[in-house]
Amino acid sequence: MIRTENLCKRYGRQLVVNQLNLTVRPGTVFGIVGENGAGKTTTLSMLVTLTAPTSGRAFVNGFEVAQDPVAVRRSVGYMPDSFGVFDDIRCMEYLQFYADCYRVPRPVARQRARELLAWVGLEDKQDAYVNALSRGMQQRLELARCLMHDPAVLVLDEPSSGLDPRSRLEMRAILLKLKDAGKTVLLSSHILHELVEVADELGFMRSGELQAVASVDVLRNHTSAYRTLQVVGEAPEHVWRHALAADGRVVEFRLRPGGAQVQYGGTTGQQAELLQRLVTAGVAVQQFYEEAVDVEALFLRLTASHDTSVEAAP
Amino acid sequence: MWWHNPLVNKEFRQRMRTARAPMVIVFYLLCMAVLTFFLLYENVQGQFSLLLPARSEQVFLIVSLLQMVVAAYLTPAFAATAVSGERERRTLAVLLTTPMSPFGILAGKVLSSSALLALLLVVTLPLYSLVFLFGGAVPQETLAVFGFQLFTIVVIAALSVAWSTIALRSGWSTVLSYATVATMTLATGGAGYGLRYVATRFPVDEFLPRWGNWLLQLNPLWVEARLENAVTGPERSWLVFIGVYTILCAALLMVARWRLRPRGLALLNKVVGNDERMS
Ligand SMILES: Nc1ncnc2c1ncn2[C@@H]1O[C@H](COP(=O)(O)OP(=O)(O)OP(=O)(O)O)[C@@H](O)[C@H]1O
Ligand SMILES: [Mg+2]
Repeated sequence: MIRTENLCKRYGRQLVVNQLNLTVRPGTVFGIVGENGAGKTTTLSMLVTLTAPTSGRAFVNGFEVAQDPVAVRRSVGYMPDSFGVFDDIRCMEYLQFYADCYRVPRPVARQRARELLAWVGLEDKQDAYVNALSRGMQQRLELARCLMHDPAVLVLDEPSSGLDPRSRLEMRAILLKLKDAGKTVLLSSHILHELVEVADELGFMRSGELQAVASVDVLRNHTSAYRTLQVVGEAPEHVWRHALAADGRVVEFRLRPGGAQVQYGGTTGQQAELLQRLVTAGVAVQQFYEEAVDVEALFLRLTASHDTSVEAAP
Repeated sequence: MWWHNPLVNKEFRQRMRTARAPMVIVFYLLCMAVLTFFLLYENVQGQFSLLLPARSEQVFLIVSLLQMVVAAYLTPAFAATAVSGERERRTLAVLLTTPMSPFGILAGKVLSSSALLALLLVVTLPLYSLVFLFGGAVPQETLAVFGFQLFTIVVIAALSVAWSTIALRSGWSTVLSYATVATMTLATGGAGYGLRYVATRFPVDEFLPRWGNWLLQLNPLWVEARLENAVTGPERSWLVFIGVYTILCAALLMVARWRLRPRGLALLNKVVGNDERMS
C-alpha cells in the first residue's frame, strides 16, 4: 500500500531523510517512532506530495508520488502535526468544503459528514463553529476530515500530540476503529507506548534513517518474556539469594538494601509461587509488584542489538 | 468554472457571516449616496430643475473616480493576506494535499477576495442610474466604467494574491500589495503628468509625451477618466491597460503557482540527477 525505495530528502547540506526503505502492507497500521528532528514529518510529507523527494521513489496505493501526485492525493488522507482550522465556519461546512475539494457528490458528502461526525463523537457539534471547538475535538474533526473522500490510506502525523490523557484515549479508540475499518494507516509519534497500542508494526527512525522495523507482536512476546518484579522486604542476604536462585523462572536478580529487583520469565500466575517461596524462606515481604513495562527501553535494546536488520513479519 | 471552486463558496460564506462585511457595504453605500446627493445639490444650488447635463457629468466623474480610489485601496485589504494568511493559520498544507490545483487555489482566492468589492460596485449602480437620470451620462458609458472598475478590482486582487503567495508573510505581502496599488495610481499618474508637463515646457523631443501617455495608460484613474472623456489622450487606452495588466497578472501568478507547489524543482532534480544515490 505504501512503499518507498531509497527515499532521500536533502535540505541544503543536511540529509534529512536518508535511503529510506519502508513497506506498509494493506490494512495494517505502521507506526514511526523517533525523537525530535528524526525526519518523521519530512517522510510523511513526501508521501502526501507536500514535499518533493530529492531522490528515490515512493508509492502510495500503487501511484508514484512524483509521477502521479493527483492520484496519490486522491488515495490518501493526511493529518499534519500542527494544523489550523478556518474561522467562522461550522463543522458540517468544514467537512463539506473538503468534500468539494475532492469533488465528492453533495448528497454523498452530506451523508458521510454526518456519519463521520458521529464516528468521532462530534455528532452534537454539527453546527458548532470549528474554531470554538477544543483542541481534542478539533483533532477528531480533523480525522473525520481526512476520511471525507474515503481514502484507502491515512497518513497521520502525531495524531495525539497536545492532547490530555482522556482525549488520548478517545483518539486511540478512534485509531483502533480505523484499523477495523480496514484502512492502511501510517502514523508517527515520539511516544512509543502510544504506538504499541494501535500499530501492527513499528519503525524506529533516527537522524533520517529507518534503523529498525519490528512487529508489535514480537515486541509483546519480549515484554511478556522478561517482566521486572520489584520485591520490597526484610531478610538477610543469603536468604534472598537462596530463595531467588531456587526459582527456575527467575532469569536474573539484583539485591538492593531492603529488597530485590527480579527479571522474571514466568507468567503472572506463576508469580504467586515465587511470592510463596520468598515468604516460606523467611523474607518479610512488604510489597511485591510488577513494574510497568518499559517498552521504550526494550525497543531500544532490541533495535540496538539488531541494529539495521529487519525483525519483522515478512 | 468559478462556482465549482469550493474556495469561493467557502470564503464568501465566511466573509458574509462576520458583521464586518455587511457593515462595510452599508456604510459605503451611505457615504456614496450622501456624497452624490450633496454634489448634485451643490451643482444646482437647490434647484433641481436647473440641472445641466454637463454639470451632472462632473458629478458622475467625481463619484466614479472616488469609487475607483476606494475600491483600489480596499481590495488589498481583502486579498493581500489570502494565501499568506492560510499559511500562517496552518491550513494551507492540508489544502495542498487535496486534488485542487494550485491555479484553482489562486483563482478561488482572487475571485473570493474580489467578490465583496464587486458587491460594493453593484450596490452603487442605482446611484449611477440616478446620475444619468439627470442626463449626466449615457448608460453605455456607465456600464463601460462599471466593467472597467470590475476589471481593475480583479487585477489588484490577482496581484495581491500573487504577492501573498510569493512573500510568505502577511506583513510583507500587505506592503507589496499596497506598494503595487500606489504605483498604479500615484506613481504612474505623477510621472505621466510630469513628463507631459516637461514636454510642454521643452517641446523638443517626441518621446516625452509618448512616454507620459504610456504611463498614464497604466493608471486606472486616468483610464477611467479617459473612458468618460474627461481627459485627453490616446484612443482605446483601456485596451493598453487591459493588455499590460493581464500579462503582469499572468506572470506574477505563474511565480505564485510555482511558490505554492515547487514542482519545477522536482523535475529539475530528475534532470540533473540524484546526487545521493551516486555518492
Ligand atoms: N523546510 C525545511 N527546511 C530546512 N530544514 C528542514 C525543513 N523541514 C525540516 N527540516 C529539518 O529536517 C529535520 C527533520 O525534521 P522533521 O520535521 O522531519 O522531524 P520530525 O521527526 O518530524 O521531528 P518532530 O518530532 O520534532 O516533529 C530537522 O532537523 C529539521 O531541521
Ligand atoms: Mg514532526
